[in-house]
Amino acid sequence: MFSAPDSYPIDLPTFHSEINLPYTLTPGRAAGTFLAEVKNRRIVASRFASGQVVAPAQDFSSTGGEEPEAFVEAPHTGVLTAFTRVDGQVIGFIRLDGCDNDFPHRILAELDDLSIGQRVEAAWDDSVEQSILAVKGFKPAPDAPLGTVKPLETMEEPLGVIPYAMKLDYEHAYGPYYGRMFDEIRENGRFMGVRSPGSDVALLPPREIDDVAHSRTGTWKACEDTGTIRGCSIINMEVYGQTRKVPYVYAEIVLDGASTRMIHVIEIDSLEEAKEKIKPGTRVRAVWTQGERKGRVSDIERFEVIEE
Amino acid sequence: MALSKVGVVATAQTEFRPAWNNAQHIDLISSVVTSVFKGSGLTIDDVDFIIDSGSDVLDGRSISNCGFLGALGAHHKEEARVEEDGLWAALYGVNKIRSGSSSVGLIVAYSKPSESNVDLYWNAQVEPFYQRPVGFGQRAANGILAQRYLAESGLSRRDLADLVAERWAAAATSGKVAIDDLPDADAVLAAEEGAAPLTELMFARPVDGAVAVLIAREDIARRVSRNPAFITGMGTSMDTHSLAAREAGRLSSAATAAATAAAMAYRNAGWASADADIAEISGSSVIGELLAIEALGLAEAGKGLSAARDGKVAINRSGGALPADPIMATGLVRLAEASRQLSQPELFGGGAPRRAIVHGAGGVAMQNNCVFTLEV
Amino acid sequence: MGRHVGIVGVGQTHHARRRTDVSQAGLVREAVDRALADAKLSMEDIDTVVVATGPVLFAAVNQPEKWVVDAIGAQGKSVVRLTSGGGAGFAGALAGYYQVAGGFSERTLVVAYDKLSEGQLQYSISTLYDPFWGREFAVGIMGFSAAYWRARMDVLGHTEEAAAMVAAKNRKNAIANPYAHVKKEVSVEDVLNSKPLCWPIKLLDVPPISDGAAAIVLSSEKMAHHSTSRPAWIRGMAYCCEADNAPERSLMLSEPLAIASRQVYRAAGITNPRRQFDVVEVQEPYSCFELNYYESLGLCPPGQAAELMASGATQLDGDIPVNPSGGCMGANPIGAVGVIRLIEAATQVMGKNESHQIKDAKTALVQSGGGWANLRGCAVLSA
Repeated sequence: MFSAPDSYPIDLPTFHSEINLPYTLTPGRAAGTFLAEVKNRRIVASRFASGQVVAPAQDFSSTGGEEPEAFVEAPHTGVLTAFTRVDGQVIGFIRLDGCDNDFPHRILAELDDLSIGQRVEAAWDDSVEQSILAVKGFKPAPDAPLGTVKPLETMEEPLGVIPYAMKLDYEHAYGPYYGRMFDEIRENGRFMGVRSPGSDVALLPPREIDDVAHSRTGTWKACEDTGTIRGCSIINMEVYGQTRKVPYVYAEIVLDGASTRMIHVIEIDSLEEAKEKIKPGTRVRAVWTQGERKGRVSDIERFEVIEE
Repeated sequence: MALSKVGVVATAQTEFRPAWNNAQHIDLISSVVTSVFKGSGLTIDDVDFIIDSGSDVLDGRSISNCGFLGALGAHHKEEARVEEDGLWAALYGVNKIRSGSSSVGLIVAYSKPSESNVDLYWNAQVEPFYQRPVGFGQRAANGILAQRYLAESGLSRRDLADLVAERWAAAATSGKVAIDDLPDADAVLAAEEGAAPLTELMFARPVDGAVAVLIAREDIARRVSRNPAFITGMGTSMDTHSLAAREAGRLSSAATAAATAAAMAYRNAGWASADADIAEISGSSVIGELLAIEALGLAEAGKGLSAARDGKVAINRSGGALPADPIMATGLVRLAEASRQLSQPELFGGGAPRRAIVHGAGGVAMQNNCVFTLEV
Repeated sequence: MGRHVGIVGVGQTHHARRRTDVSQAGLVREAVDRALADAKLSMEDIDTVVVATGPVLFAAVNQPEKWVVDAIGAQGKSVVRLTSGGGAGFAGALAGYYQVAGGFSERTLVVAYDKLSEGQLQYSISTLYDPFWGREFAVGIMGFSAAYWRARMDVLGHTEEAAAMVAAKNRKNAIANPYAHVKKEVSVEDVLNSKPLCWPIKLLDVPPISDGAAAIVLSSEKMAHHSTSRPAWIRGMAYCCEADNAPERSLMLSEPLAIASRQVYRAAGITNPRRQFDVVEVQEPYSCFELNYYESLGLCPPGQAAELMASGATQLDGDIPVNPSGGCMGANPIGAVGVIRLIEAATQVMGKNESHQIKDAKTALVQSGGGWANLRGCAVLSA
């Protein structure tokens, strides 16, 4: 069984990592039309061959996957069919007048003032376009007259893409093995691995169980900050999220004393020179960053070729 | 054609904690993969294949299995990642053994929700144009189910709180779940609002941990295990993405998918829910658990509570998912718990239970459902 | 082995650089409709569904099968999703294969897709790397792939030209593929002169970025005749892995592919792959990988892929054509590619391939893979 102590007296530090990406999502015909039409304050719905009307518009029926026969305009009024509150925001199911489905949206009222079956009406936010949030939410409208579903003679072209962003933050636990490795990098400026079972070469990064034999690894061992390139390529294209200026060399380096690779970069002046000079087998040395080490791989700024 | 039986040879679990902040994913995974062989006489070399469950979004890595293959013991073996609760990974493994192509398989599921924002994990599951922007996700869905369930069953929030407190007490007794302060019903009611009318403690508590289940062809299982539980039935069903459409015209949302999955499993096994001795059920909230109990045929609609607490079938003696929900591993933990209860009844107060129902779920408001039957 | 499993219906989208007329879910629907129509079935006839896609970060929908299920009308059915990076489609098909072979299902629909225009491809792939150890220096897997191609060139004495020949061959073959979207003949010189992106990988060694979906219907022997008189039977299929940071991982050969192929050839009775296969479809995310596969699949002895390529044997008119469909060079919706390769091979042995039907093709080999070049599998199909 994993051998870490059951509890630690202090809060352990974590490794912060974030994934932050822009997207261009395609909503498809139904949602694309709905999202294009909100600027006209119209709620587009789908009418199916069965006569059922579903709002907001769907390309496929939620119950059987059928495609709609037409888009129609749904009224802005309806009834509240269920509700809850999450983080202070009331979210409810709404059934628009003349429609056959419920859908979730924000409810602009206090929870305690709501009851199932009560009449509600869309509240529009003119500052928002191309989003379901152009309808800010639904507010109680006890006297709102019953609306009707109408045909949609002309409509906007469906939106082809809408911008979207996804940001995910992580606080990764180091665990005892990475924890020691990064502590050693920070405190002593050295790379410590653990020996493979029955061998003197170190696995880097270290771990409790060897990947290949699936048996317990051995004692700790300091590796050098010099090593040999196992594989390398010359990066000459710009991609989102890149941290270095092209061209540079992507290198998988086996540090002296270790058997597994470390991934790092080597700076170069020209592509042609690098083709000749940097290859599998080339000896390299770490160039540490100036100033205080943080206990990360980036405490090594880059590797450089050891001139013979 | 009768399908061959596949045996659960051994299981291993880490403790389930709110945060394993002194262990990485690979530490938890290699821990259970190492432990599961103890006493079985088998080693990793006897394993033909590994099927694992985990979530890239929770892990913060793409193709996260790729970085964990060594810890999984999968090097140079067949491996597959099922990005759904671990009970579906077990289903894959059983099919593989039944096909005759393999004899011994290792099923692994793990979770470290403490490292990320679980609300975002759920929110990213809902369709991105209509539902996601308005904040509809796991919590809102369960809040809406709860509002309807309470209205139609006549139960009170205190009834729910009583069940939650019982589940936590059971988990504390099991010793497998880290619990600092055991909540009583008052504490459950007094907890912060999760999604009205549910408090946070009425939701399944995300925890870190890992589970491994070793399965094998019947003859091997009998040879290496003293009293193995056999998987005799399996069923799965996914409901529509639209919770409102699931809800339309009936009481329980989980009914269709969970009931369909259960019917399939019971048909394979040749017995019905009433014939079971024990059941291990996943619920993303206390309402989710009650709805699942009813959908599995263990109680009539709206009557899940009495079955949950003292029905003929002993339900969630482990405490179930409410005190410990290692998202993506929860259903496989249920399989491990049920098989232990059948194989080693002496550890659970004796008796001679023979049949168990195991339930796993995935998705917002348990859109996807999987049911196994186990027998000794 | 258990029950026989055959591919009885296939369908794919007309892949494109960007489809702004359909959502991810709508794209999946197109492929599913075509596969069901090809199998003369409706969704009612399907017992179970397997969905496969690349990583979630490609398109910002977590567990997208839970959204897609509505678009394909599979509500209430058994639906599960498999992932395996680039090999997702193949891994999904393998899960489907075992559902039928293991008796869980009579007919299983496998649908795989990616809509890569919606996200940031290379950055998403870079998140495959350990966040603690190397992610900040990753360039998708292109930097990695180029590095190991370079190592192979140095050790084996191969030149950039060998991979350029692969690129030129596949790009030419793609012209006749009705589902491909890159259809332009290029010469070996054009490839060699194209811009280095991650040298030695150059622009024309790299497949396009695509939106696309592909679906197959798998059937038990008992039900297959409802769909076709000539299914493509799966004679063997496996998908193996290696730990990504194992010591001594040379990548001269793909060991997981070599292990998978040994297992599959044994099941399928293949003793001389070069002679016994009529056609081969491989997933070449960069042209250089195809050379590695020749050796790992035993189409030539280790180290002799460049010679095999130069001999013309893998050209359309050679004795063992590889990628008559054009492979990834014509379209590369990553998660779908494993299923696309299965479709191209299945239609060859069914005698209805739409790009380049190889005359009298009876036995076909399919390769697919993903991850860090460490998840690799293959399958043998025959009529």
